[in-house]
Amino acid sequence: MDDSVRHGGELAFHAISHQYESAGRTTPVLNDVSFAIPAGSVACVVGPSGCGKSTLLSLAAGLMGPTSGRVDWEGGEVRIGPNHHIGMAFQQPGLFPWMTARQNLAVGLRTRGASRQDANATADEFLDLVGLGDFKDAYPNQLSGGMAQRVGIARALALRPRLLLLDEPFAAVDAFTRLKLQQDLKALLKRYRPTVMFVTHDVPEAIALGNVIVVMSQRPATVLRIIPVAPKERNRASVEYARKLAETLACLGVTGDGEHA
Amino acid sequence: MPPMIARIHAIVLPLLGLALVLAIWQGTVSHYHLQLVVLPPPLAVVKTLFALLGSVAFWHDVGVSLYEFIVGYAIGLVLGIALGALMGEWRAFRVAATPVVESLRFIVPFAWIPLTILWFGTSYVGKIALVGYAVFFVMVVSTARAIAGVDPVLSRVGRVLGMGPWQLAWRVHLRAAAPTIASAARAAAAVGWIAVVAAEYIGASAGLGLMITNAASSLATPTVIAGMVVIGLVGAAVSALVRWVSLAHLDY
Repeated sequence: MDDSVRHGGELAFHAISHQYESAGRTTPVLNDVSFAIPAGSVACVVGPSGCGKSTLLSLAAGLMGPTSGRVDWEGGEVRIGPNHHIGMAFQQPGLFPWMTARQNLAVGLRTRGASRQDANATADEFLDLVGLGDFKDAYPNQLSGGMAQRVGIARALALRPRLLLLDEPFAAVDAFTRLKLQQDLKALLKRYRPTVMFVTHDVPEAIALGNVIVVMSQRPATVLRIIPVAPKERNRASVEYARKLAETLACLGVTGDGEHA
Repeated sequence: MPPMIARIHAIVLPLLGLALVLAIWQGTVSHYHLQLVVLPPPLAVVKTLFALLGSVAFWHDVGVSLYEFIVGYAIGLVLGIALGALMGEWRAFRVAATPVVESLRFIVPFAWIPLTILWFGTSYVGKIALVGYAVFFVMVVSTARAIAGVDPVLSRVGRVLGMGPWQLAWRVHLRAAAPTIASAARAAAAVGWIAVVAAEYIGASAGLGLMITNAASSLATPTVIAGMVVIGLVGAAVSALVRWVSLAHLDY
């Protein structure tokens, strides 16, 4: 099976509303959210903290169902439970501390039915890809924050998911590492072409990685705008980039030239 | 501190502490001219200890106490971890089990000794039940708490990787909670060992506790103290063993 290039499918949210119940109180987080991510493209979802972006990811992953509305993957409703088309990475690396880097990558592959040998081979391949070839036998407490985050992303990619869900995966690493990780991720996505839903609160990051930016409002969140990003707008030295940045920030309610009167 | 001196400190300081206790002991005996029956000097106890080490009856007593302890400990450990894990995983079960666990766990094992003698006489079974009981409650409470305290991110990761509820419970939650459970197992070993000896003091047909009460009633005080030393040494050895096993596999 040649799956070095394996295109993703379409992910679509239809009129999603969601609320959390806790201690007798109802907190609405999503209000009539609809948008679709075309097969193989990268959508970056930006919005204020706590606006329900992570909830959208959990719905897309089938970790839970929406209060109303439906989430479709390739035209069929996403079912709750283990979904083998997804890979997901989080703000924290979430590595199992009792496993080496290789075992952390292999465990998901094994769960999804790969033989031990295949799982280890794939794990090694993806650790090489993220530049951690020398750390295959290292335990998470022997890795730096940035390295652990690479392992977390490699673990998601090693599953060769057709839908990659990223929940602020670079938010907890330093600014320089973040830029490096963004670059690496971009190269990897070019190679594997999954459909990607990338939640971030960093607008420059969204412009750097997204084909579209989905701008969400405060909670209960609705979609304010969907902004397409053209390749030339990703050049940080360009006027186009500056315009895109201003446009997206304005959408989020941030305006002005940054100078105080 | 240079490593050489650090190493000397590591050896000399504990010996110094031990020597101080022995000196106070010997000093007390000499100063008050205490009789052997009241408080034997350290050397007499050491002599008795060596005599005991050569006696078959002594090893039988040690064997009985260890047997009761090991069987009871294993039963309490397995049942306690299993029930604690169920409480950690399954909300409805936790709510149902909490009142029972909370009301029973403050009844110390020693309070059960009269009943166990009534039910099981002086046989092994009563001691095993008592150790099991003591260990069980330490393990239930700490296992439930350890599982509830597992980083929720690890659960989400497990689910995203495609694990079902059983795999998640077994391969993620229990595994992530294992270091905490292991340190509870060490504490439980101490509690269990104390329970065995205490139960033997009150009613037993063999064991270290019985050996000591028998020696006391025949005024063989050096044997009493030698027995106490053995109890301490075995307890420390058991605790060190549990620690060694858990550190070898659960150092994260």
